[in-house]
Amino acid sequence: MESHAPNQAQTTEVPKTILSIKDLHTYFYTVVGVARALNGVSLDVPYGKVLGVVGESGCGKSVTALSAMRLVLPPGKIIQGSITLNKIRKQGDFYQVVDEIDITGLDPHGSKIRSIRGSDIAMIFQEPMTSLNPSYTVGNQIIEAILLHQEVSEDEARDRAINILRRVELPNADAAVDRYPHELSGGMRQRAMIAMALSCTPSLLIADEPTTALDVTTEAEILELMRELQAQMGMTTMFITHNLGVVAQTCDYVAVMYLGRVVERAPIDDIFYNPHHPYTRALLRSIPRIGKRTKQRLEPIRGVVPDPYSRVSGCPFHDRCSDYMPGTCDVNVPAMTTLPDNPEHQVRCFLHSEATEGEPR
Amino acid sequence: MTVAQPQEDNLLLEVKDLRTHYPIRKGLFRRVVGHVKAVDGLNFDLRKGDTLGLVGESGCGKTTTGRTLVRLLEPTSGTIRFKDPDLGWVDVDAMSRKEMLPIRRNMQMIFQDPFSSLNPRLTVKSIVAEPLVVNKIASGQELNDRVAELLKVVGLRPEYMSRYPHAFSGGQRQRLGIARALALNPRLIICDEPVSALDVSIQAQVLNLLEDLQSDFDLTYIFIAHDLSVVEHITNRMAVMYVGKLVELAETEALYYTPMHPYAEALMAAVPIPDPRVRERPIRLPGDVANPANPPSGCYFHPRCRYAKDICSQEEPILRELAPDHWVACHLAEDLSLRGVMGGQAGD
Repeated sequence: MESHAPNQAQTTEVPKTILSIKDLHTYFYTVVGVARALNGVSLDVPYGKVLGVVGESGCGKSVTALSAMRLVLPPGKIIQGSITLNKIRKQGDFYQVVDEIDITGLDPHGSKIRSIRGSDIAMIFQEPMTSLNPSYTVGNQIIEAILLHQEVSEDEARDRAINILRRVELPNADAAVDRYPHELSGGMRQRAMIAMALSCTPSLLIADEPTTALDVTTEAEILELMRELQAQMGMTTMFITHNLGVVAQTCDYVAVMYLGRVVERAPIDDIFYNPHHPYTRALLRSIPRIGKRTKQRLEPIRGVVPDPYSRVSGCPFHDRCSDYMPGTCDVNVPAMTTLPDNPEHQVRCFLHSEATEGEPR
Repeated sequence: MTVAQPQEDNLLLEVKDLRTHYPIRKGLFRRVVGHVKAVDGLNFDLRKGDTLGLVGESGCGKTTTGRTLVRLLEPTSGTIRFKDPDLGWVDVDAMSRKEMLPIRRNMQMIFQDPFSSLNPRLTVKSIVAEPLVVNKIASGQELNDRVAELLKVVGLRPEYMSRYPHAFSGGQRQRLGIARALALNPRLIICDEPVSALDVSIQAQVLNLLEDLQSDFDLTYIFIAHDLSVVEHITNRMAVMYVGKLVELAETEALYYTPMHPYAEALMAAVPIPDPRVRERPIRLPGDVANPANPPSGCYFHPRCRYAKDICSQEEPILRELAPDHWVACHLAEDLSLRGVMGGQAGD
């Protein structure tokens, strides 16, 4: 399936999702075995909102993002599932889904995905030093992206690059456009990365741990900048992080991942004030929180994340779970179920629903 | 917690005007053309049983301070006095390499990266036993028993003794690093970002372990970290560094809720609070961290400070005690009313 012809003009007031991931399996066939990085990720990225994706290292956060960009390189392979990108155009107060693209069906080296990368979906990476090319100026790299996706002259592309650098509040943008990445500080580099990602006004921005490498004061400034840009441009953002503080400060919705699956998804307030999955609860109890004057002891989650080469039967969290029900949790995989009292809150746990997913594996 | 005034017999470490400068060399003859003042005049005391947090942005000299205290780096000037349980007060800065050996038994270090701080070619036993062997404390079966006991203390199984570090997860490796630091039964452990490489769920395990060990073995910690939520949790006193200098030193709670230095205020306001109902705007610090090779005049923070007055660019502020055990290096500290973390409101 290359891509659908433009659908019958569906005009809605507010579109629901911009990116819809269904039952995505991405495996890495390495010499030591098959690493099942994604084991059936289903995730809808709501239009115009910030979706946080949280989880510990190895849970598949980054692989989900790379799969959506079709940047999973061999020995990695998407073996099952679909990723659908809804191209949405806004006309007045109405939104129109003008195209539906099945990203998993595209050739990862083809022209179609290359036209999507950068202009429809853009990505910011964790370490700005390794994702900016050290031998080109910042301006050059932004201009390259603009020229690739837009029909403009080089001079105009340069003007746009300076404009976007101003927009991300890079001090002295006129001069900074001719600077090399090593001449900028970490925070400035991350601003330049954001400028590059925004240069073609993507409808979806994927930010993979954009502030992890930064100092706390710089981190706060970058988060503030992303919030402002989000409000101005109405861009959809998928924000990948392991830091629950950062999530609380930036996101509208949160998806919690564990071992290649989404285990809970809810509006931000419900995740922090009404979490349902034992893993989400345990995660929240294990972090030190500022503001608790009585120093409570942290409650760590027992055990460790199983390694991705092994296969855990049943619910992947069962051996670390405090509510483990033998005979149920270790046999079947719970299905993602919507809570009866909150249509926006889904959880994958037998405490809340007996629905199982497929055959035990 | 009430604070007793520092008393001589209560002290473990006394640091006076400590400086560690790195020479900058240039040209054919590697002439010294300047110095990076990584640590530039630190003064602080450490009481027994304290956990002193050392925070600040990268490059502010936290790690250099930690390493200088145990003489892994040579101080340029200043004194480090340490109360050794056997030798009494010793001047760590004046000791020779040989003289340092017995003192270092009581001053150990835990490093940030559990992947590069353990030799991949040594078994767990040799790693944990090394301090015991070097100091000729145990050998043979006794050594074996001691290593087994240490592994148990940090929550690892003694059977793992013959394995190599690659067989362990990040959290387990950090436990090995802790076991090694504990081997000689030290008084002071300098923890340099001990949990920042670990996942959140594992981080809690290691923090709890450090707390347990502190009460079981009567340890004193210097805890270097950049994660301010972790520091608030584990420390009872805290020092904020900026470009090689201490700008504020106080009890942890006082520093978080009633900071007195504008830099500490900005730092506290920047902490991402894990509560979606508390969203605050950070305080923007214009410009970049000062260059420690060529710091600005007066107060190093004045070019970025929103309260700066003329005096700030002319005179260097000294660290002074404004409230009991609350030390600040700011000319204007008395006149400022600064915002603490969560607007100075303690949560539930």
